[in-house]
Amino acid sequence: MTLHFQPPPPDHVPPELIVDFDFFKIPEGVTDPAEIWHGLIRRGVPKIFYTPHNGGHWVFTDYDDIVEGYRNYEIFSTYQTPVPPIEPFPVMQPQGVDPPEHNVFRRLMAPMFTPVAVRGMVEELEERAKGLIDQFADKGGCDFISDFAAKYPTGTFLFLFGLSEDRLPEFLELAKVFFRSTDPEERAKNVTDIYAVLEILFREKEKNPGNDIASAIVTARDAEGKQHPWQDILNCGFLLFVAGLDTVTNTLAYIWRYLATTPEARQHFRERLDDPDAFLRAIEELFRINSVSNLFRRITHDVEYKGIQFKQNDRVILPNTLANRDPDVFENPNAIDLDRTVNTHVTFGVGPHRCVGSHLAKREVMVSMQEWLRRIPDFQLDPNEPPSGVFGGSVMGFESLKLVW
Amino acid sequence: MKVHVNLDVCQGHAKCEDLCPEVFATDAVEGKCVIKDPEVPAGLEEKVRLAVRNCPEGALRVSNAKGSK
Repeated sequence: MTLHFQPPPPDHVPPELIVDFDFFKIPEGVTDPAEIWHGLIRRGVPKIFYTPHNGGHWVFTDYDDIVEGYRNYEIFSTYQTPVPPIEPFPVMQPQGVDPPEHNVFRRLMAPMFTPVAVRGMVEELEERAKGLIDQFADKGGCDFISDFAAKYPTGTFLFLFGLSEDRLPEFLELAKVFFRSTDPEERAKNVTDIYAVLEILFREKEKNPGNDIASAIVTARDAEGKQHPWQDILNCGFLLFVAGLDTVTNTLAYIWRYLATTPEARQHFRERLDDPDAFLRAIEELFRINSVSNLFRRITHDVEYKGIQFKQNDRVILPNTLANRDPDVFENPNAIDLDRTVNTHVTFGVGPHRCVGSHLAKREVMVSMQEWLRRIPDFQLDPNEPPSGVFGGSVMGFESLKLVW
Repeated sequence: MKVHVNLDVCQGHAKCEDLCPEVFATDAVEGKCVIKDPEVPAGLEEKVRLAVRNCPEGALRVSNAKGSK
């Protein structure tokens, strides 16, 4: 199906709901990209507003609306949602289709990422983290992004997909363009490049299946005993590629930036190194406060929601960081409370599209922290080189985070 | 006290299992909530209540023998 994204001039948008906001643009001097979102709240913008930037899109700002955006797929679809629009955009499987079609690939993915499955990966994850940390632990410093946070999830992806480790730079570069570029031509070419890589990968795994996720996808059979449509297989690989790399990298970056500047937090986690259950509970708060993703939805049909007229194909952004600091839901929302007992953050989304890889992502973060704190119990931001290359967009983060110890 | 899960609403966040593994587990196919025994063992009521409050989908509820919640 071909869809045409010509965002209509926003004549259905009342002028009082229009806000001048570009979620890719981080003003000079802003050191935390999430602040552009929280700045909106301080400015007192409408709870639901429209910005003409990036093709024009709505923004939901409070917990209830963001949760509704996740749950109500009959209005807020995940089908071809990028902001700014890329046309045509792959129909990611299963993220980019709504129930009931969604269930086919969701069911295929789910067993590979359950807590039970992820517990089986812990040893591998630990070895990978140790291996990376070994490379710089004795050097007294590193660039956390390039030396660890980018390599770790990407290396894990290569492992899970049964790919050779020496392809790391290639995959890092593909992910970087996918998440950072706002140049339409570069973005379109990037998608083509990723698909070319996936095509070769899945053809190879089809011939020589191994014990990896790519093989599981390509050898899976549908209800009639047939291979899933080839395009869907590629689209599923595409999703796994884009969903699990930059998100984890930048979550790690945010967390390390916090740990580097907060000795009490380092101590809190060091004291729980031998108590994985307590450790896991405490990192929930880090996931709440360091939520890097801003998710997109597309309106399925002309509809009124909360008294506002939405038109078919309007885009909506669900900024997790705003939901996670909604004062109506979280007591003292801007404080990082590692002992917080009730924490229904939406960092992994809610509803049918809840991040299928969330347990792996959590475990990657947890293992990274455990191995790091054992080896490098104390560390600081490099006073001579503050975090730089701060970026917004669908995933927010830092291009560089120099640490010293 | 009894604890119940609505599996149509559960999306497999596994917060319940993280918070009270004595009572909650997750299945290996969909990763959804498995209640080991709906009758909450004595002494675990608070942990279970906390798990219920932490479910991001609101899929869990508790009831007691007298029918109050």
